[in-house]
Amino acid sequence: MSEEIKQVTNKKITLGNEIMTSREIDLHEPAWNQAELLERVDNDRELVRELLTIFKEDFPQTIGSLEAAVSSGDLKNSGSLSHTLKGMLSNLGGARAAAAAARLEELAGAGEIAALRGAFDDLEREAGRLLPELDAYMAEVRR
Amino acid sequence: MRILIADDEALSRRMLEKALERAGYEVTSVENGKQALEHLCKPDGPRLALLDWVMPELDGPGVCRAVRTRSEQTYIYMVLLTSKGSKEETVLGLESGADDYLTKPFNAEELRARLRVGERILLLEDRLVEARENMRFRATHDPLTSLLNRGAIMDLLGRELHRSQREQKSTAILLGDVDHFKRVNDTLGHVVGDEVLGEIANRLLASVRSYDFVGRYGGEEFLVVLNGCDPPYAPGRAEAIRKSVSNRPIQTVKGPLALTMSFGVLLSADWGPRSIEELLHEVDTALYQAKDAGRDCLRMAKPDAKTEAPQAALPQPARRAR
Repeated sequence: MSEEIKQVTNKKITLGNEIMTSREIDLHEPAWNQAELLERVDNDRELVRELLTIFKEDFPQTIGSLEAAVSSGDLKNSGSLSHTLKGMLSNLGGARAAAAAARLEELAGAGEIAALRGAFDDLEREAGRLLPELDAYMAEVRR
Repeated sequence: MRILIADDEALSRRMLEKALERAGYEVTSVENGKQALEHLCKPDGPRLALLDWVMPELDGPGVCRAVRTRSEQTYIYMVLLTSKGSKEETVLGLESGADDYLTKPFNAEELRARLRVGERILLLEDRLVEARENMRFRATHDPLTSLLNRGAIMDLLGRELHRSQREQKSTAILLGDVDHFKRVNDTLGHVVGDEVLGEIANRLLASVRSYDFVGRYGGEEFLVVLNGCDPPYAPGRAEAIRKSVSNRPIQTVKGPLALTMSFGVLLSADWGPRSIEELLHEVDTALYQAKDAGRDCLRMAKPDAKTEAPQAALPQPARRAR
């Protein structure tokens, strides 16, 4: 995959003598891969609606708690909350936001407190792209 | 089939529930590893489990390890759900006791296919357990009467002997023999003889409590062990067991047969420091006395207080007139 279609996160995490390359966000990947989600849930649109409802309820609180953990340099909670978000987002087909959450989880695990804020901002930006698409789908199925 | 889902994340849990309900599973969902372990360790708990790796209280590999330490349980097939992708982590998950793992986000069809593998493994285990139980039954039971065979009743008697001595409880041993059974076989044939033995086994079993033991000791001899039987009541109970055979004829293909049994009875109060073989020798002597007294009766064994080794380790039924 060429460099121009990737936004490679600009930091590398040093662990002893090893260099761990952080996750990459594929810019060709849509913010929300609705088709992939539908395939995984046997094309059950009612279930997708139900899942989005759960997500809309859980996401604000989880990302709020994550932001508080990042702001206070709480590595343990930063790691566990970003792990939770990674699972939620990847289950929903939000691969880009999930990749951003995964990067934050890795940084927290590596003790990179200074890098947490930037990674959180990336996650927030990707979530900002995803949420309108989910809202649009919800509005459509309500009609 | 019942399946347990353990995942702290509501969205993932709902996806799993729906995918599995659609496939016909009876789903139980919990939010952490501790709750998962409680469900899986119940005697009638689910035997299939989908466990998220990262969970509060106890993680998925921790649940697997805890379940695998409980060897007395039937096998539980456990699949770890993980967003962890490295080989090291996969190995760690499987080494913890998981049977399989599935990477999130999962595909419903793949999930169901992997669980079908689990069902096949569990079915295989059920068949093996069933075969083992059948073999165990055949090894411990008499094929004609389905009573405990000689080896099994002797084992149980040995355990009961130790238990009653330890707990200062009373036990009674009854050794019974069908009177004139040889005549049944000689005049009416072995088929009728077998019918008689089967019916006598049924009557003996029906006349004791669920925690007493009845076994076929050999030929037409039966051993009954009455647990927790206080000495004053033992003769009466032994008499009732004897009469369960003589009180009505036994129906056979050659017509009804009026048959009786003779019994020797030994009470634990009279056991003293004797071995099982010595005790059986004493009760066999009492049975011999019942036969000598005209049959259709019982005689209480009265062992000599002194402990003397019997001539032979085991009773010699052949010497007794049937």
